[in-house]
Amino acid sequence: MATVELRGLRRTFGSVVALDDLSLEVRSGEFVSLLGPSGCGKTTALRIIAGFEWPDSGEVLVEGEDVLSKPANKRNMGMVFQAYSLFPNMTAQQNVEFGLRVRKESHEKRVQRARELLELVGLGSAMGRYPRQLSGGQQQRVALARSLAIQPRVLLLDEPLSALDAKVRVQLRAEVRRIQLELGITTLYVTHDQEEALSISDRVAVMSHGRIEQLGTPAQIYSGPRTAFVANFVGTMNKLEGTVVSLEDRVVRCGPLLVSIPDPTFNHPVGETVELFVRPEDISLELLANGGKLASGLVEGRVTSLTFLGPVTRVGLATDLGPIMADVSSAVALNLAADTVVGVKLDSSSLRSIAR
Amino acid sequence: MAQVTAVAEARPSSHRFRRARSRIPVWHLTWLVLAALVFLVPIYSVVQFSLAGIGPGQSPFHWYLTVFDDPMFRASFWLSIQISLETVAVSLVLMVPTVFWVHLRLPGLRAVMDLISILPFVVPPIVLVVGLLPFLKNITWLFVRPEVLSLIYVVFALPFLYRALDAGLRAIDLRTLVDAAESLGARMPRTLLRVILPNLRAAIIGGSLLTIAIAMGEYTVASLLEFNTFSVYTYTVGTSTAYEGVALSFISFIFVWGAMLALYLLGRGGRGAAAVAITDYK
Repeated sequence: MATVELRGLRRTFGSVVALDDLSLEVRSGEFVSLLGPSGCGKTTALRIIAGFEWPDSGEVLVEGEDVLSKPANKRNMGMVFQAYSLFPNMTAQQNVEFGLRVRKESHEKRVQRARELLELVGLGSAMGRYPRQLSGGQQQRVALARSLAIQPRVLLLDEPLSALDAKVRVQLRAEVRRIQLELGITTLYVTHDQEEALSISDRVAVMSHGRIEQLGTPAQIYSGPRTAFVANFVGTMNKLEGTVVSLEDRVVRCGPLLVSIPDPTFNHPVGETVELFVRPEDISLELLANGGKLASGLVEGRVTSLTFLGPVTRVGLATDLGPIMADVSSAVALNLAADTVVGVKLDSSSLRSIAR
Repeated sequence: MAQVTAVAEARPSSHRFRRARSRIPVWHLTWLVLAALVFLVPIYSVVQFSLAGIGPGQSPFHWYLTVFDDPMFRASFWLSIQISLETVAVSLVLMVPTVFWVHLRLPGLRAVMDLISILPFVVPPIVLVVGLLPFLKNITWLFVRPEVLSLIYVVFALPFLYRALDAGLRAIDLRTLVDAAESLGARMPRTLLRVILPNLRAAIIGGSLLTIAIAMGEYTVASLLEFNTFSVYTYTVGTSTAYEGVALSFISFIFVWGAMLALYLLGRGGRGAAAVAITDYK
């Protein structure tokens, strides 16, 4: 299996900078997702690796070899597209065999390989079907089998599940990961769906404006966003403003609360205004008895909205810290209603300060 | 029990549905009958006239038999078929790669292509030929051969073939199919032959059919350049023996319809006929 290295890729379309000095190393057998909003350059990067686009400058190395001088049909990279890309005039089997036919493999080998791969994607019984006789999910499975048939050095997936409905998407992404692990193939996966990226990747590269904002494991990206963009893009974040009170103890005043920042690299002068981020699941609520007083370390919050999300309910709160969202167990949320006054507690160990 | 109830309830509603479908408004039928009459009455008249004026003891198909017996008929008919096929071949060789390439790599040129493709509509054939004649006369070896007609008919057929191919290419996700084929190792000629052309089958057949119809029926240029094509022969015969001329017209009708039917059947067989119900992903 191959390593992929992108070095200083830059690509512009007129005045629009699609890729801005993009660099990334993908290890052999690794599953890396390029995650970002529309227009962040993730698909452009993938198409450059595949050979469908060329950068203005930079290098693409596969196993140390610069592949930019090779056309797409010589790069031996499997690609699954966002749009349904099966050849409509061919059956599932003929689609899978196409790349092998190009490579002049024998009939027996082609048929055997097509059968193996269609069985691998769970479509062994649909070999004779035409694309129009397959559902969207089945077509993408065949497209995956087709891309794997040529034993590619790298597998490239460009939002392959975005046209599918939610349930199929969840099932299929798990299968993509299972197959990737089974084959140990180096994989680059483009998606704008953070849940998808976090659930199946070894590492995630969060992209914005043609650059990688942060590269890390899903846990690192989720728990330790390094930029405000990553914090806001991945998951839901509450943003609070505070003033540094003590640099030594990393204490920040946030409304009526004094909170201690756990990040040892926190280095802001006393008096500076900083942005603090905290996830809804790191905020807890305490119901107040009638006329009850707030315990220390809590701020008062008034419920403004309740959104049922299944096991948890997202509670919108108006507080002295500003508007806040908190996730509480749906069973607990049964005791809440609009205008209920609650005590809001921030878990200071989960507070993150991000440089502006 | 619930199932029995459901079936019992379903029947009247499905009957109602069928009745509703079979009820066609009177004015729809009126227009349908009027349109059919406009189309069928001239054909009926042609057939009736081609069977008239026959002497005693002669076959009712006398004029058809006379036409078939005429060696000039066979010669002109085969000449027109030859010219038609050449026109189709040249048109396809020129237009398919061009339209494919414009759609794939030069989409900005589509507006220009659209404009060029309607020129033969707005410039009368006679003007085109008068303009082309001085140029063609310089190529003496070509000017005296019927192939010259094919080249001119390629221009006449351009709008029809271009529109058909343009519509066909718009109907498929060309960029994705080409990228997919390329990523699997295919070069452009293979991609065009194995992936794109089979999916343009209906467009190619439709465009070819229109091209054949134009080439078979064209009179002005063939007459001007003094080639005895089927249409020129029909006109010549019609001026001397009206019955034979009308019989010839009907023969050309039949030929074009036969060609349409053959191409339609050919187009239907393209993508595998097995009809399997679309199954949901499980």
